[in-house]
Amino acid sequence: MTILTRLANNGVQGAMKPFVASRHASHFNFIPSVADPSLGETTKMNLFTAINSAMDITLDKDKTALIFGEDVGFGGVFRCTNELRNKYGSDRVFNTPLCEQGIAGFGIGAAVAGATVIAEIQFGDYIFPAFDQITNEAAKYRYRSGSEFECGKLTIRTTWGCVGHGGLYHSQSPEAYFSHTPGLKVVIPRGPIQAKGLLRACIEDPNPCVFFEPKILYRSAVEEVPVGDYLLPLEKAEIIKEGKDITLVGWGTQVHVIREAAEMAEKELGISCEVIDLQSILPWDLESVANSVSKTGRLIVSHEAPITSGFGAEIASSIQKECFLNLEAPIERVCGYDTPFPHVFETFYIPSKWRVFDAIKKTINF
Amino acid sequence: MASRLLKLTRLSGLTKRSTCTDQFRLNEYSTKYLGNREVTFTETLSFEDSHHSKAIPIYRVTKSDGQFLNPKDDPHFDKEQAMKMYKSMTLLSNMDKVLYDSQRQGRISFYMTNSGEEGCHVGSAAALNPSDLVYAQYRETGVLMYRGFPLSSMMNQCYGNEKDLGKGKHMPVHFGTKDYHFVTISSPLTTQLPQAVGSAYAFKRDGSKKVVIVYFGDGAASEGDAHAAFNFAATLRAPVIFFCRNNGYAISTPTSEQYAGDGIAGRGAGYGIHTIRVDGNDLFAVYNATKAAREVAVNENRPVLIEAMTYRVGHHSTSDDSTAYRTAEEVEEWKSKDSPIERFSKYIIGKGYWSEDEDKAWTAQARREVLKAFNAAEQIKKLPPSEVFNDVYDSLPRHLQRQAGELKEHLKEYGQHYPLENFNKH
Repeated sequence: MTILTRLANNGVQGAMKPFVASRHASHFNFIPSVADPSLGETTKMNLFTAINSAMDITLDKDKTALIFGEDVGFGGVFRCTNELRNKYGSDRVFNTPLCEQGIAGFGIGAAVAGATVIAEIQFGDYIFPAFDQITNEAAKYRYRSGSEFECGKLTIRTTWGCVGHGGLYHSQSPEAYFSHTPGLKVVIPRGPIQAKGLLRACIEDPNPCVFFEPKILYRSAVEEVPVGDYLLPLEKAEIIKEGKDITLVGWGTQVHVIREAAEMAEKELGISCEVIDLQSILPWDLESVANSVSKTGRLIVSHEAPITSGFGAEIASSIQKECFLNLEAPIERVCGYDTPFPHVFETFYIPSKWRVFDAIKKTINF
Repeated sequence: MASRLLKLTRLSGLTKRSTCTDQFRLNEYSTKYLGNREVTFTETLSFEDSHHSKAIPIYRVTKSDGQFLNPKDDPHFDKEQAMKMYKSMTLLSNMDKVLYDSQRQGRISFYMTNSGEEGCHVGSAAALNPSDLVYAQYRETGVLMYRGFPLSSMMNQCYGNEKDLGKGKHMPVHFGTKDYHFVTISSPLTTQLPQAVGSAYAFKRDGSKKVVIVYFGDGAASEGDAHAAFNFAATLRAPVIFFCRNNGYAISTPTSEQYAGDGIAGRGAGYGIHTIRVDGNDLFAVYNATKAAREVAVNENRPVLIEAMTYRVGHHSTSDDSTAYRTAEEVEEWKSKDSPIERFSKYIIGKGYWSEDEDKAWTAQARREVLKAFNAAEQIKKLPPSEVFNDVYDSLPRHLQRQAGELKEHLKEYGQHYPLENFNKH
């Protein structure tokens, strides 16, 4: 894991950027969001500094709060925990042995005993050893005990999504596995403002949360982020662009891909697209998506994860039921193929803006 | 550190071809890699052969006849304490008999007895503070019994009725109670071990001076979570007591197919954990070891591993017939030769705390109390069907509100096909 970690990290940090850029251009353009002015003073942050800010605020406000995982002590392989150990002490920000099931189990136990827990799994790809602890234990703690015990103060952060050259085990999007687990909340932000507000919301939420951070955005996504504390609502989608002909739903980095495809479709085909960032995978905001599709009559869901049993299937099926009389074309899913995530073929694997664009065209012409 | 360095310098001075480099490396390996344990080079090619080393000895305080081997090890329980222990063990074994039989009659769906391991439960529970947090596997009901968890609550759990603290969600014997600091049991084995470490770490920080004890069987110790927990507890210095009940079997699997090393205790040193192996049928040995372990945990913030050697006298569960993989003679031999309850009864009789007549009367009373609680629990209805949706989250999300509505509508039309008479209406 270590060598691969370093490789992926260096890539994100930019040490290998010229080489990466020469292979293929980035598959999306990050367009900064504008924070609600009521949230106060802002400063430029990228995604990792926004995450760091959310954790800094938590440690400052909540003396029980702990942050731990592999290599978080020196600042983390993606710099998300930078300086936190110096500021809050090594009993609150500390390295664990290299063992994901241990990290999750330890986190659950600390939360059971009343601590606020932010546990890090270094890559979403390595969350599977902790799958039993997360799905059989964390998710079911409250239910099985009749609320005698719960681990609602647990938040598990992990990286997520493709990064250009991550191959099989530094690219995965495992959200659908967790979406099938009642008791969990699963959240994915699209940029720094959302990352900070949604992570703070996950930490404060009285239920165990899995928070996926699109690692390709750690450095590349920069915008004006409120410096103070704020929470963005969980279980709520955000319409980031209004439209009337077709609804596009995505989350994480893919929101930027579908927005670009939407702009291409407007410019080249005159199609008005409504773009929705789902943000919360579980529980998800069926109402917002259904309202949009009732208006537009068409839906495309797009995610990086493989198509079969991906979360797009849940959305398509639910919307088909809710909006049967409004639908004017089959719901389309533009997703990763049903293969492991490949290294040199990444550009052909991911649901690119061209594939989304093509799906928009075909759905409109149906 | 200075004295350590000097020592190492002296040590490497003894090595024949020692050099400056050797000293540097030995010092580095010792201080940075090996937790300051002294290390030397050797020029002899030799494997550490665990098969020829002696096993960790089994700490005992009394012989099978209940006599103390060394009077200084007698914890001198007063009558109240000793009788509380004895009554906890015997009440448990009476409850086991009733609930085992009731499962055979189909009155509850499942049960697991504790026969032969009562001394482990009560001896360890008595050495803890009542607010120390317990994580159990499932065969530790005696800990709850000792802490005074009411019989009625146990029966309510097995029936899953509306008074069950777990609200009828969990299989029988999956007890849990915040008031008695006993974390709700879950079926996946060993998941509770790293959790116990996390709780202990939180206690270390909150200044409450509480420790955590976590129970598990010899089979569960093979799970990856056991490795995770031992290692996390040692590196993060958590005040946790790992209490392994080594009863010889994991369902049908004998320990010879579970591990090849020196039991579970043999693993402790490898993790840097204080470790002891005790006679699990000797309540006094279990008590003394747990009490000492608690001191280490709370004063030094270090984990302790206790391996209690015992024997699973009963079947694994009501879904298991153990004669399919072990002989009835083997079981009988353990029962007749070494019962933790009988060993302890010799102590209380010897001390003049108890007599055989009192014992007879108590057995009858214990059985009556169990039956009374059992019959009462059987009469209590279960929570309404809408309870299915509660406690998934702290509140009902929209999709669960919708699904609760769907079930309600469904039961309006098809209710006659469901056993609604056993459930409350609202």
